[in-house]
Amino acid sequence: MSEQPVKHQRPTLPRPLSPRLSIYRWRAPMLASIAHRASGVVLILFVPLYLWLLHGMTGSPDHYAATLEWLHSMSGKFSLWLVGLALVYHFANGIRYLCLDSGWGESRAMMRFNAKLVLVIAGVAALALFWMLS
Amino acid sequence: MRTIKEPGSAHSGLSDWYWQRLSAVVLAVLLPLPFFLLVAVYSGSVDQQGLLDVLDHVASRVLHSVLILALIIHAYIGLKVILEDYVHVLGWRIPLIGTMLVMMSGFGIWWLALIWAWA
Repeated sequence: MSEQPVKHQRPTLPRPLSPRLSIYRWRAPMLASIAHRASGVVLILFVPLYLWLLHGMTGSPDHYAATLEWLHSMSGKFSLWLVGLALVYHFANGIRYLCLDSGWGESRAMMRFNAKLVLVIAGVAALALFWMLS
Repeated sequence: MRTIKEPGSAHSGLSDWYWQRLSAVVLAVLLPLPFFLLVAVYSGSVDQQGLLDVLDHVASRVLHSVLILALIIHAYIGLKVILEDYVHVLGWRIPLIGTMLVMMSGFGIWWLALIWAWA
């Protein structure tokens, strides 16, 4: 029996091609994925700040002192806290993704468990960093 | 682990995926280092002379350069995927991704110049 070629019809309604935040029910793996993107954006935004800090800290001793003073100010501490949290989360969830890519922990139950695990790690990191910086 | 025999309609979907993972592994090793350095300076356990000694070392310059390269690859692909998901108008998406790539490359070159100029 010869196979009939499947006719592809353009759907009449626009399909949700992208991860639409408002359509799917919130689950730990979805939250983990969104948080991975959000923390990634935070880390990118920190790169210019890191360069500015390095520039200040490698300048004159006065420049160094001023940069260090900013780091100890409220906005400096908040930046360190935020980037530390983003780094820990992106790191933990990144390793989770590498594990998933190599076929480890792919079952639905495991996906939910390890998504919750990295979110808990991020929560602990947020508290630990807050304690360290305050 | 199953082997994928047909890579989809584009037939070349592996490139972004592969570079994202390769840069991820490099970053996982290198990115915590400047963070620890920053924390050490913040806490006062490394003073300015100590920081300059670390940054002046040739190993630090090489590692910083590799870090920047991996960072730009990783950040470019990551942001590109986000833009591709949420910017649906092609006339916006392509200029945005292009602008991002040019800005990141310029930033990377500037940073590399700065790192190798530290005396």
